[in-house]
Amino acid sequence: MARILIVDDEEHIRTLYTLELEDEGHEVCALETGRNIVEHVESFRPDVVILDIKMVDVSGLDVLQEIRNRFYDLPVILCSAYGSYKGDIKSVAADYYVVKSSDLTELKRKIQQALEARIPQD
Amino acid sequence: MADWILENPENVSEADIVVGIPSYNEADAIAFPTQQASLGLQEYFKGYRTVVVNCDNASTDNTKDAFFSAPCEVPRIYVSTPPGVKGKGNNFRNLFRLVTELGAQAVVVVDADLKSITPRWIRALGEPLLDDFGFVAPLYLRHKYDGTITNNIAYPLTRCLYGRRVRQPIGGDFGFSGELARFYLEHETWNDDVAQFGIDIWMTTLAMYFRKPITQAFLGRPKIHRPKDPAASLGPMFRQVVGTIFHLMEPFAPFWREVRRSRPTAIFGFGLGETEQPPPVNVNVDALYQKFREGADRYDAAWKEALAPATYAKLAEVQELEPTHFEFPIPLWAHVLYDMAVAHRDRVLPRKELLDSLAPLYFGRTLSFVRSTEGMALRQAEEYVEDQCLVFEDAKPYLVERWGA
Repeated sequence: MARILIVDDEEHIRTLYTLELEDEGHEVCALETGRNIVEHVESFRPDVVILDIKMVDVSGLDVLQEIRNRFYDLPVILCSAYGSYKGDIKSVAADYYVVKSSDLTELKRKIQQALEARIPQD
Repeated sequence: MADWILENPENVSEADIVVGIPSYNEADAIAFPTQQASLGLQEYFKGYRTVVVNCDNASTDNTKDAFFSAPCEVPRIYVSTPPGVKGKGNNFRNLFRLVTELGAQAVVVVDADLKSITPRWIRALGEPLLDDFGFVAPLYLRHKYDGTITNNIAYPLTRCLYGRRVRQPIGGDFGFSGELARFYLEHETWNDDVAQFGIDIWMTTLAMYFRKPITQAFLGRPKIHRPKDPAASLGPMFRQVVGTIFHLMEPFAPFWREVRRSRPTAIFGFGLGETEQPPPVNVNVDALYQKFREGADRYDAAWKEALAPATYAKLAEVQELEPTHFEFPIPLWAHVLYDMAVAHRDRVLPRKELLDSLAPLYFGRTLSFVRSTEGMALRQAEEYVEDQCLVFEDAKPYLVERWGA
């Protein structure tokens, strides 16, 4: 099972994701802001990050850039209520993009795909 | 090594950054990218020794004169294959050799027929090479029907094989380090297809396979060059691009067999100017269908030979569809390409015939792509392409099994 970092400013979303993913055996850490993301990634050492885009104090797309600049190989799944950000070129830096739903089937599928992604190294 | 024709009027013997412009009969177009390259080098690479190189195929339309007559404030070199020796890849090979001799740190290549290039393109394609990146692929908005070989073959196949999402693997505009140029010059997988239009996918694939640090340069403006109707004659380009992908699958199989899913590739250049919408590309859908039908008449025996029985049976179903209901499903397309790759390796048919027989299937798939995306905005069509790639990734275990140990 994996260590999953959730970044979302909506409390009920954080609660829903945490309960469902912990039920699947994952270890979850949930943050309400993407500020200081580098420190949080360094301390929690997640296997995958689930990142909201439209948050009150910070853009998830900017947080994604921060993550990519520092932790290039860390899988990131953008998870937004809006499908329109999928057209933003910055979202290309994410591994996957999921439109929020109370049914987490698609999100769980993307988490699985992100975890199984493998490119042999020297 | 083949002879070359070299004109170096300013006796340039060393350079840090080189912009290369490959050409064949581009006299009416080459002045503009030459001027933009010069402006880009002057504005963004002050303090570096720079040079613009036209690598040509002994054009007979005075491309060389047009190159030397273009407004350009940095030194210029003209290098050409001997008369009669054609091929974009041969031009690149001369460029690899020249930049190696010049000791260049970074090389930017742009197409000679570009109409939308700006000085910022030179920066975006070159600057990452001065950091840690070894290869820079372009990332620009293209009309949904521009680049159908990219959308339906080159991008999904390279992505699922090598695990890196490089959206424009045959974009034509690239950056690579001087070190990588030396590596290219000596690599043993060079062949006749690579010497022609296979060069772009060969360079991108080698960069991915050898885990060179890759980034995508977001160029802001769309690529505007001579547009091509996908239904128009493909010529040998289709064979050379697809043949190169299949050719490289053989030595690189131990690597790609182990790749699961794919990872995004870094992007350089956000905020470098405004994003513009690409101009429309018209597609003749009737011609696409006609070429598919003609191919079915001509190549059915070849398809039966090359494809797995289940794939062939599904294709037979597609052939029976009425024109108004015609559809070439993505999972079938993935299996067709995977089967063809295996047949190419096993030389089930002469390779030229095999690749020629794939072209009508590509036309059929392109028709299906056009119909599926005709009501879509550019962004939605991009999502469709991404979804298609996921189908290729889902189907990859089939390829691994068919390829064998």
